[in-house]
Amino acid sequence: MRCLRLKSLSVRSTALRSPVLLKAAAIVVTVGFAFPAGYLVWRNFTFQSDPLGVLFSQRTRGPLLRTLRLAVLVSASTAVLGTALAWLTTRCDIPLKRIWQTLLPLPLVFPTFIGAAALIRTLNPGGLLSDWLGNLGLVWEVEMRGLFGAWLALTLFTYPYVYLPVAARLRRLPGSAEETARLLGDSPLTVIRRVVLPQTATAISAGILLVFLYAISDFGAVQLMRYDTLSRAIYTTRLNNQPVSMALSVILLVLAAAVVLAERGATRRFEHMAPVRSRSPVIYRLGGAKPLAVAFLGGTVALALLGPLASLGDWAIDGIRLEASGGRDLLVGWDDVWTPTWHTAYGAILSAAVAVAVVLPSAYLAVRYRSRIGTVANAVIVSAFALPGILIGLALLFWTLKTDLGSHLRNTLALLVFAYIVRFGGQTMRTSQVAVAAVSSRLTDAARTLGAGWVRRFRSLELPLMAPGLLAGGGLVMLSVMKELPITLLIAPFDFPTLTTKAFNSIEEAFVAEAGIWSGVLVVLSGVLTWLFVVRRADHFD
Amino acid sequence: MPVADTAAPLLSVEGVHKSFGAAKVLAGFNLILHAGEMLSLLGPSGCGKTTLLRLIAGLEQADEGRVVLDGNTVDGDGAWVRPEDREVGMVFQDWALFPHLDVAGNVGYGVPRRQRTAEVSKTLELVDLPGMQDRTPDTLSGGQQQRVALARAIAPKPKVLLLDEPFSNLDTALRREVRTEVRELLRDADMTAVFVTHDREEALALGDRVAVMDAGRIVQAGSPSEVYHHPVTPWAAAFVGAVSMYPADAAGCAAEADFGAIPLHESCRGPVDVAVRPEAVDLHPDVGATASHTVEHIEFQGADAMVTVVNHVGARLLARVGGTRKLAPGDRVTPVYSGSPAAAFPRTETG
Repeated sequence: MRCLRLKSLSVRSTALRSPVLLKAAAIVVTVGFAFPAGYLVWRNFTFQSDPLGVLFSQRTRGPLLRTLRLAVLVSASTAVLGTALAWLTTRCDIPLKRIWQTLLPLPLVFPTFIGAAALIRTLNPGGLLSDWLGNLGLVWEVEMRGLFGAWLALTLFTYPYVYLPVAARLRRLPGSAEETARLLGDSPLTVIRRVVLPQTATAISAGILLVFLYAISDFGAVQLMRYDTLSRAIYTTRLNNQPVSMALSVILLVLAAAVVLAERGATRRFEHMAPVRSRSPVIYRLGGAKPLAVAFLGGTVALALLGPLASLGDWAIDGIRLEASGGRDLLVGWDDVWTPTWHTAYGAILSAAVAVAVVLPSAYLAVRYRSRIGTVANAVIVSAFALPGILIGLALLFWTLKTDLGSHLRNTLALLVFAYIVRFGGQTMRTSQVAVAAVSSRLTDAARTLGAGWVRRFRSLELPLMAPGLLAGGGLVMLSVMKELPITLLIAPFDFPTLTTKAFNSIEEAFVAEAGIWSGVLVVLSGVLTWLFVVRRADHFD
Repeated sequence: MPVADTAAPLLSVEGVHKSFGAAKVLAGFNLILHAGEMLSLLGPSGCGKTTLLRLIAGLEQADEGRVVLDGNTVDGDGAWVRPEDREVGMVFQDWALFPHLDVAGNVGYGVPRRQRTAEVSKTLELVDLPGMQDRTPDTLSGGQQQRVALARAIAPKPKVLLLDEPFSNLDTALRREVRTEVRELLRDADMTAVFVTHDREEALALGDRVAVMDAGRIVQAGSPSEVYHHPVTPWAAAFVGAVSMYPADAAGCAAEADFGAIPLHESCRGPVDVAVRPEAVDLHPDVGATASHTVEHIEFQGADAMVTVVNHVGARLLARVGGTRKLAPGDRVTPVYSGSPAAAFPRTETG
């Protein structure tokens, strides 16, 4: 999912005049996507007596440095982990390859706060692991908190962002290049260094970018691990120290923008490397190292997937058993589960559908009509994807609190859906562009000469042909919205509890049984979606 | 088909200009097409053939000039009729079949819903694909896809059918067979058609008229035999078929070359280059050391052979001779002209 690479997917050699309606739609959408960031900056510089003073004060330095430290560490570890896993599962003679390929992307189903809570439950002294080790007479004393805890949680639950594109790329690299290098006298390791890695570099860097953006904007893991990064500091100061909260937000915004700009510059240099399709990648024999490799894969799956699942189940079962044996009553009845589940599904589906619909005009303009407005709209929409959720939530929260216009939207589902779309709509851009490009202009031309007007062309021709791509993009949005935490916490209507808010509050208030139930439902829901839209379509990530 | 000149043309393209950015693709293009006529547009790649078809279909708009279809101005003079309202059918180079629809869905796309089923089966009969309604395009062979594309374009009974290199995606063996079928089929359906190609053999075989195009203009238009035998420029002569431009001295209705006289179809005087088709030249073997030419090169082509001979000053002449003739490079021969009157072009002294 390289949303940030907008190579022109041209399907038409001659520029067409783009329809006015499309342009108008794209402009409105672009303004919408730019609004939260714009409002944040404007407010910061107009409502404070000394904006620059706060911006460069000691109070902002610590969170900024912690954010950078965490993001760099997580990027490095996911790059190594994701690439190694991709290499082993696509290019080595590993047993049960299909199973590993299915399991390895699945840690994406955990929102980081649930993953972090599960890690704490599993790995902290007194947790599941130390219980088991205790039975064997061993002592475990590594505590999951602070930088180490946040780093481990983010590494385990975001490495698929590197794994997926790298695995897709490795599967497609033509085996002939590697075979040629061997024939020219390189050893297998030299081939990896001189031929394979250079061709995989773009996929790795695309994955690292996503992880880095994820790490600087993450709220769940750092909140649970009590590691005071920018996003956590913004959240904790939002009520009692708004100037600092605003200043921190602007710093986070600048950081995200800088990352995106740096990525743009770096991508340009790589642009000549077109991916090549190949049916038969070279498979390397591991020989004696095979048990070690299997242990590595197994360890990753155990830590990132099975362990957390086990601890969620453990919580829920403990609680249910306790209630059944006459202990504390659970704070959830089975009827209560339905409402937040419905809210989560409804919000996610609605956001995904609207996101696809609002992004489509820009994709059309950029791909079909090569319009400048389309290009600008693309850039804004895709950049908004780098905008941390906490900033969008905060900007819209203040907007509803401080302005007349905004106050009408306070506590509405419309505002929440709008925020979700700004946050994740960019994810549909790439798939939408590919979908639009898939409808060759020859086909629409043919339909025109057969007498079909634009309504019929769109309905009978373009929509059916674009459907798979649009669905895939919508699926990504749906999955992200389900797991979203900071926006939901900040601006979801009071009467609209979702699984994330329920789970987060239960975890924070240490109602572990309830936390297990809410999290379990959420993870199962997002697991189904991940399988449908991510695992099954892993090849499309390159 | 003989067409009375007095009848109003079904389609006329008048002084059309079209540019894409700095590239001028059509420069004052004129074309007239009568009902029932089949016109081949022959030209090299990039000469504006496809652009012309797209303009007629309404998929592009002319910068200047106008397009009149069946008495109505559809483009130009401030008028504009959208492609979906023009009733112009088009067969695209890559056929552009709708991949998500079956054969019936494709062929019936342009037919009103009520007549769809009947029209589809009738048209599929016509293109010799009866009963193929439920097949999807990707299960069809190239030739079948081609016929589905044709069926889709003719099913709504367009006023004019445009074919953009419709056979270029077929392999050579199939191409000849399919194009004969298509010609018969369009003739039976009494279809008016413009057919674009860069293959001269195809153009000559398919068109009632052939228009030779270069750089956005028509260089020459006429019956296939007219265009072949009486080219108006050396370029047109070479583009339509193999030719040698042989130096000679024209004196009225014949030109004297170093090997003998060549009859001319238009009277002319002075030094000329005569467009000599290879099949109009016979080679007589050397008898008594009087031969004027030497065999330079022989290209065996099966039934016949293309022989290049050269005179003592280096002027080259192509001759098509029977494949069984035993000639070898270096043999001395005398060419003899045995064809119909040829076209001559006054010599430019710079050459």
